Amino acid sequence: MSSAAEARFRIDAPNSKPRAIKIIALDPPSERVVKRLAQAAWSQASFFTASAFSGAPRKDESFSMTGWLSDLAGRTTDLINEVDSADLVVMVATAGESACAAAIIGEACSVKRVNTTGLIIGGPGTTDEALSKTLAQLRPWSLMLVIASGEDYIEDMLVALRA
Amino acid sequence: MLRQEQNNLLTQTGPGTPMGQFFRCSWQPVLLAEELPENDCPPVRVKILSERLLAFRDSEGRLGLIDEFCAHRGVSLWFGRNEEGGLRCPYHGWKYDTNGQCVDVPSEPVESGYCQKIKLKSYPLIEKGGVLWAYLGPPEKRPPEPAWEFATVSERNRFVSKRVQESNWLQAMEGGIDSSHVSFLHRGDLHNDPLFKGAKGNQYNLGDSRPVFEVVESAGGLYIGARRNAESGHYYWRITPWVMPAFTMIAPRGNHSVHGHFWVPIDDENCWTWSFDYHPIRELTPAEVTAMREGKGIHVTYVPGSYRPAANKDNDYMMDRAAQKAGRYYSGVAGIAMQDASLQESMGPVVDRTKENLVSTDNGIIMARHRLMRAAKALAEKGVTPPGVDPEHQKIRSVAIVLPADVPYKEGAKEALIAKPGVAPASV
Repeated sequence: MSSAAEARFRIDAPNSKPRAIKIIALDPPSERVVKRLAQAAWSQASFFTASAFSGAPRKDESFSMTGWLSDLAGRTTDLINEVDSADLVVMVATAGESACAAAIIGEACSVKRVNTTGLIIGGPGTTDEALSKTLAQLRPWSLMLVIASGEDYIEDMLVALRA
Repeated sequence: MLRQEQNNLLTQTGPGTPMGQFFRCSWQPVLLAEELPENDCPPVRVKILSERLLAFRDSEGRLGLIDEFCAHRGVSLWFGRNEEGGLRCPYHGWKYDTNGQCVDVPSEPVESGYCQKIKLKSYPLIEKGGVLWAYLGPPEKRPPEPAWEFATVSERNRFVSKRVQESNWLQAMEGGIDSSHVSFLHRGDLHNDPLFKGAKGNQYNLGDSRPVFEVVESAGGLYIGARRNAESGHYYWRITPWVMPAFTMIAPRGNHSVHGHFWVPIDDENCWTWSFDYHPIRELTPAEVTAMREGKGIHVTYVPGSYRPAANKDNDYMMDRAAQKAGRYYSGVAGIAMQDASLQESMGPVVDRTKENLVSTDNGIIMARHRLMRAAKALAEKGVTPPGVDPEHQKIRSVAIVLPADVPYKEGAKEALIAKPGVAPASV
């Protein structure tokens, strides 16, 4: 296998089944990014927003997990059901914006044992303070966290993950 | 996964290719200084970025890196006589200086000036930090000399080795930024390897086997942070910097030396893995240097007379199934370097990335590819100098540090990530 000649004999057959990836925008600027992304052709990606739900419950406050998500047409959808059918949930946030919905989504993923990736979009003008604020909200709920300088990374990431 | 055309873009580094252009923006390590130890010593063949070259040190100590083949009949000048200020082809006596300029064609009258019309392609070759560095890019864009910290410390603080790796450079480099494999492939070596064992940080590694990763862009490339639980309200961070296109450093352990790699393409199916150890503020001990020479840590032992690892694909990397079963070596291959190289070579010379199934923890690799493609495109289309060429991008360190849980590591380790002469590395 380690020679070029042998490498040609690697079996040419599918080695995986499609995985469902749910991409959730956590704030209005991220929602614009996700909406743009959703216009491309994806086989296993679906796109949502939680940006309308800016008032996450305070600690120890009771809440329902239903109704925290909207699809991009604005229809409310059930968070638990969406997470339950996901192999990976990607939460997209913008540095400096509130990412408090991450706690609800992260909790749902934790209950359903679904991996989470947090993606914070920064930019040349992003301050450490703005980044810290968003990071603090995402970090406890992300098993992988990426801080990208621009939104173009998300598309490459989804392609790489076969979304 | 990558599309085939993306895989080709990133893995092909010959003349005229976008990634070849990228590598040709900065100084590349090509030889250990010990390979050209004295004036008029034997010349050494150098194949880099799919170009066959010849390095020599002339009678005055000047370094030359020139086209390997004589302009007359195409003979390899490796057979040449290195004498009296130049390299003479043994076939018909044509002689070249370190700039590739022909200075003698014995069959032609001196008065004809014929030799002035013959010049081989040559590239600048400089010595720094025990390494000979070549620049294969356009002369008008020659960058400042390398500023990597290991190359600036006293030679007594440093040990550098190289080995041939029989795979494309990218799959080797991706192993260097794939922090999640350490908990499996190298798990036995934290306890046993003399260049790793005994550090307090190892306890954090062992106490939390499910690290969480954070990938952050830096000016020169990326920081890849692996986070583990430490004492109450704190995280233990191991931060790996990657500087474009092919430099990484491994987070340090205790007072052990710091180490890292370059992966330099020989051609599209082979690369040089350069491995360095150094300590910014102390000399390496004789025991450490002996361990490195004996192939411990990230170094290897060799087939005598070569830089090919003694464990290689022709002997199945000296696979030890009993050690694998007993858990001494997770893969059955001894030594951190060959544990990595054996698996990376097993993928084939250029792994088919259209078939891979990446997962979330591969975001360091995904981001590195993304940044390489973006920078290669900007260079090819707009002439934008890529990250990593600026010496400030090279003054970087890996870090092992304990930080409060709410602190972004890029902020909390900001000073520790910058190489400062005389300052101890941040290590746990």
